[in-house]
Amino acid sequence: MGASFMAELLKLYKRPAVWVLTAIWLAFVVLFAYALPYAFFANLPEPEVPEDAPPEMQSKMQTQSEAASEQLMSQLYPENMAAYVLSGISGTGGTLALILGALFVGSEYGWGTLKTVLSQRPGRLTAFFAKMLALGAALALFVLLAFVAGAICSLVVAGIQGAAVGWPPLAQLLEGLGAGAVILAVWAALGVFLATLFRSTALAIGLGLFYALALEGIVFGLPIPNESFQDARQFFLGQNSGFLADSFTGGSYNSPSRHQART
Amino acid sequence: MIPETSQTDGRDDALLVETSGLTKRYGARITAVDDLDLSVRRGEVYGFLGPNGAGKTTTLRMILGLIKPSSGTATVLGEAPGAPAGLARVGALVESPAFYPYLSGRDNLRVMARYSGVAPSRVEEVLQQVELSGRAGDRFKKYSLGMKQRLGVAAALLKDPELLILDEPANGLDPKGMADMRAIIRGVREEGKTVLISSHLLGEVEQICDRIGVILRGKLVAERTMEELRGREGGLLVRAEPLEEATRVAQDLPEVEEAQVADGMLRITVDPARAAEVNAGLVNAGVRVSELRMVERSLEEMFLELTGGETV
Repeated sequence: MGASFMAELLKLYKRPAVWVLTAIWLAFVVLFAYALPYAFFANLPEPEVPEDAPPEMQSKMQTQSEAASEQLMSQLYPENMAAYVLSGISGTGGTLALILGALFVGSEYGWGTLKTVLSQRPGRLTAFFAKMLALGAALALFVLLAFVAGAICSLVVAGIQGAAVGWPPLAQLLEGLGAGAVILAVWAALGVFLATLFRSTALAIGLGLFYALALEGIVFGLPIPNESFQDARQFFLGQNSGFLADSFTGGSYNSPSRHQART
Repeated sequence: MIPETSQTDGRDDALLVETSGLTKRYGARITAVDDLDLSVRRGEVYGFLGPNGAGKTTTLRMILGLIKPSSGTATVLGEAPGAPAGLARVGALVESPAFYPYLSGRDNLRVMARYSGVAPSRVEEVLQQVELSGRAGDRFKKYSLGMKQRLGVAAALLKDPELLILDEPANGLDPKGMADMRAIIRGVREEGKTVLISSHLLGEVEQICDRIGVILRGKLVAERTMEELRGREGGLLVRAEPLEEATRVAQDLPEVEEAQVADGMLRITVDPARAAEVNAGLVNAGVRVSELRMVERSLEEMFLELTGGETV
């Protein structure tokens, strides 16, 4: 098992697609989770105050606007980093993990390398578990990178805003890392399952993305009051990923309609 | 069809590959391999011949445990097909060589070495053995078909295997590449290893194999040594003078069935084991014999005869 795991790590390390996904993931964290929200929160439009409003009302509205801006901005501060990054992991991170899982397994069918590997020494189970172990290592690295990038970005935001730097408790950080790994593992497992089912990378990624980006959104958008239908929705991956991420914030960053927001 | 079996055939303790009633069906209609009994002995180069679609690759895939037979059994080095203990002593190249396109040839072998549990130093050894060291740093996707084939053989040699299984190893090779491949296979045999090779290139098989099995529509129709195959027609070619006198004398010899002139030589239908008696009879009658040899049919002639004219 150990030797097969080392073989998988070598393939993982040398595969350009893995580095491309890593770069996309880091770019997402830096740009879409921090840079763009910061630019938006820092430039919220001034409240429209009627010209004939009394000065104390104008002042009150101004204060409320600044408080709202600061509340939004506080999401980006280091103390909220774990929960904030986790909300990103449950959305885009899951999609990337699905692609990674499909690539990990589907490519072996596409290139015909599975027979080359199996005609070496490892049995099917050993080869499979070694591959899953390597995939798990890659996902753990993804989560860790997201947290490191999030920490750096939040530090920069706090520095710019002149806010006090405080970090989440260690226990929350560790729980966040664990929750992130679980979320990515579940999405990657879907990619692995589809790639194994269809013996293909492209079809697995295509169907997986359709599920992640469209199907769940359609299902949650359907106004069907049926109780069984409502119950069935709790088993959807996106929904459960969101619930797990929300458990760190009490749902303050993402409403139950996070799914529609993501799609 | 009942397979023609070798006179020297039979149970052998030194059988490295043995199949019994091996059958592979796909659905109710397609029988890719049908009740196949195959045996590969230790130290020999066994050629597995058959027309396209005859079931060669399916058989090799079953032997390696890549697919399961519908019925029948197979043992490889005393182990069930695909068992890690057996695979540890088997090197294989099945179908086209398949490797990771984004990795170099060397890195592909490093990956395979890790799977096989062999020392990394073996990578450079096998690269040299297949003469691919100079291009080992190039990515696999940039390799020519011949280079891919060499890399496939290198991967098969990584474990320094007791049994080497090569499926069409000469595919895509230029004449020099084919000669190199023959040299590699001969080198492996000289080390006391066993080689099971499938090929549609009859000339290649003829030059390197000790024994061949012919498969047709999934059935083994013959399994013989090369000597048996070539000498099966049972005849002698004699260069003698005067030719007319030699023909008359030969026809009178009791062991000779028929004697006739063909291409300036006397072609005698007789058991080749009686060559000394035929020679003595001719010489005693005053005929000068300058050459006497067994009639050898080409493998292609034999193959076409066994397969009823189906080409490879």
